[in-house]
Amino acid sequence: MNSLFKNLLALLALLVAFNVHAAADLEVNTPGVNAIKNSMQTRHGQLSAYYASGAVGLTMDGMIAVRDAGSVPLAARQTVNALVAAENQDRSALYAEIANANGHPEWQAEIRTTFAQRWVQRAQRGWWVLSNDGWSQK
Amino acid sequence: MRYLTHIRNLLSALLLLSTAAGAAEFALSVADVNAPAFKAQGIRLVLPADGSADLQIANLKLQQHEFRNLRVRCGGFTLSSAQMSCRNGRLDAIPDAKLDFSYDFSGQRWQLALVAASGESWQVDGQPDKRGWQVSAQLRNAQGKRLSPLLPAGMPLPAQGALNGNVRARGDASGVQAVDADLQLAEIGFSDASGLHAAEKLRGDIKFTANRKGVAWDWQGSVVWQSGEMFWQPLYLSGDNHALSASGRYDGKSFEIEQAVLDLPEVGRMQFSATLQQGRLLQGVLRGDKLTLTKLFENYARPFLAKGALAEAALYGRADVEIQYRNDAVQALRLGLHDVGIADVSQRFALLGVNSEINWRLDAPTTARIDFAGGALLGVPLQAGQWTVNMKGLDFAVPQAELAILDGKLDLHNLHIYQQADAWRWEFAGSLLPISMEQFSEAAGLPKMLGTLAGRIPRVNYDGSEINVDGALLFNVFDGTVVATHLKLANAFGRSPQLSGDLALRNLDLDLLTRTFSFGNMQGRLDGDVNNLQLQDWQPSRFDARLYSSAGNYPRKISQRAVQNISALGGAGAAAAIQRSYLRFFENFGYERIGWSCVLRNGVCAMGGIEGANSGTYAIIKGGGIPAISVMGYNRNVSWRELLTRLKRVTQNNVKPIIK
Repeated sequence: MNSLFKNLLALLALLVAFNVHAAADLEVNTPGVNAIKNSMQTRHGQLSAYYASGAVGLTMDGMIAVRDAGSVPLAARQTVNALVAAENQDRSALYAEIANANGHPEWQAEIRTTFAQRWVQRAQRGWWVLSNDGWSQK
Repeated sequence: MRYLTHIRNLLSALLLLSTAAGAAEFALSVADVNAPAFKAQGIRLVLPADGSADLQIANLKLQQHEFRNLRVRCGGFTLSSAQMSCRNGRLDAIPDAKLDFSYDFSGQRWQLALVAASGESWQVDGQPDKRGWQVSAQLRNAQGKRLSPLLPAGMPLPAQGALNGNVRARGDASGVQAVDADLQLAEIGFSDASGLHAAEKLRGDIKFTANRKGVAWDWQGSVVWQSGEMFWQPLYLSGDNHALSASGRYDGKSFEIEQAVLDLPEVGRMQFSATLQQGRLLQGVLRGDKLTLTKLFENYARPFLAKGALAEAALYGRADVEIQYRNDAVQALRLGLHDVGIADVSQRFALLGVNSEINWRLDAPTTARIDFAGGALLGVPLQAGQWTVNMKGLDFAVPQAELAILDGKLDLHNLHIYQQADAWRWEFAGSLLPISMEQFSEAAGLPKMLGTLAGRIPRVNYDGSEINVDGALLFNVFDGTVVATHLKLANAFGRSPQLSGDLALRNLDLDLLTRTFSFGNMQGRLDGDVNNLQLQDWQPSRFDARLYSSAGNYPRKISQRAVQNISALGGAGAAAAIQRSYLRFFENFGYERIGWSCVLRNGVCAMGGIEGANSGTYAIIKGGGIPAISVMGYNRNVSWRELLTRLKRVTQNNVKPIIK
């Protein structure tokens, strides 16, 4: 009986989790979300060459990271560091903003997870992804 | 040197044995050799009959470094009672270099030479002197990468380039007494594993001498960095005869820089002294006169600044600087500013021709007078001014200040900037004395407006994250007033700032307003309330707005073009309703009342007119007088973005009315 109750509870928790996912509107459109997306889009033009060269890669927590600074000319290394820092700041802000726009700030972590998967799916072949097993090329 | 004597005795015995037996090959194993500087285990020496030698050491510890399975093969090995020598040797670990080694038993001199391609040679000689011993090394095109195994892991390791020059050391039984180095770097490159501390093609000279006196060392050195580039996160520098010379003392505990001179090209000369203990700065003084701020800021300060207004600014002019550091804090700062300027690259702000002599102290109140020649704020020029700043530690106060803006001025009262709980906070109050709207709008790149801009600014404060305006912010514009209350700017300097507040518009002159925005002329007076206004990244995301005719008697006229434009805002369908044929004969119409409301939620504006009807058509303009006209609205819900596009179209394109 106890075990049945536990299973029901687990099922309920799963359903709640699923509902949260299903309900979050990831395409929500607010001035804040638009501003962040525009800023990220502008930056992507500068970052894409570094994704392709393997200097920068995607992480499984919805962020990006410097993978191989050595492949970047010395004069551009701080630019890459700054781009990565600014991009991660925007990504954090984006997840928070979408959660807020959905009226559920507590959904931020799940939104981040969903986005993380989405970024990796959309990554071009040859880009690097950091998982628990280390860096690997898509 | 005693261990070498033991080896000699062993080897001599071996030589004797081999001669006596007439054997073809001899092998000797030694369990281990312990010396102050090194420890070798598992030594095996094989001497074949052809005069060569094969020395293997299973484990060699040199200071804190450990090498395993070392093997030297000597092409020619001679051993006599006077000398031992190894010629044409090969060390397995350095297969591309030839090794020669000799030891003179009577004079206790030894020589080690490592020679490789491209004229590379490492020549090391050791011999006893009157006081103990001396070792000298001559390096010719010595490849820096060979030093990597000797350097601690984790620090940047040389990978390219060569060293030339001499290193000498002298010592006695108690250890090293003096070191003297004179080295030239040629195209040296190094990097750590992360690539965050790296250099390429470094050229320069290093000179260093140190002499021990008791437990302390007196040292002096100089570095000239001629060319090459270096990235030491977050700094990127390229060598252009940067020079540093310094002297001091190290007593085993604290490292003292008694005097140092640093020459930074395009910046100037700085002098400093410092005392460090375990990497921590105990005290220091830095002085520099007439330093050029542009490169100082660009190369040495900006890389440390995160994204922000200051990080996107440029500095000009020269400064005299003196900084005194003690007890974990800057104690005093003297700053002489000579025609200094700061300008934001995106032209949001600029302050130019700043001159001042600032003497700041952490523990005592001081006052500074700051003169500036002019500047700009959001495109609006600021005139020259003088501010007196009262400083007390990290607390700066300007009791009274004027900022001349165009033909008016901003009077600031009680500007107070201070640090509390690790965050910078500021507050001020003020008033804006009339500025011509015509000049202001032109400077700010807005449509040409008439009238004056004036207002009262109650207390404004920034608490480290939010800017709050206490009370009401009042502006006199378009011959009426705009009062802003409950103003709050959250995330003020971060991504996507959020402004909230309420606006009350009273008695605005419609004539001035419509002329400004080329809307088609309207005459009358307008009131309005914009409540629960929220701007996100300066775009409206929510408000409850209502515009309506002011109470009172005044001429109420609306031009044909304005009617057309208002109806165009309602969309194509709405325009048809007022397009009556007889209207083409009249330029202006009379009206009794104007009323329009918009409740903005989720990008959609729910509109209403004079009456608060919930559905169907609504009157935006109720006609009155002769000829009279009424304008009706049909669409209740319009996308805010679409409404803005329409508004832009009617005000920018100056559409000609088509009256059928």
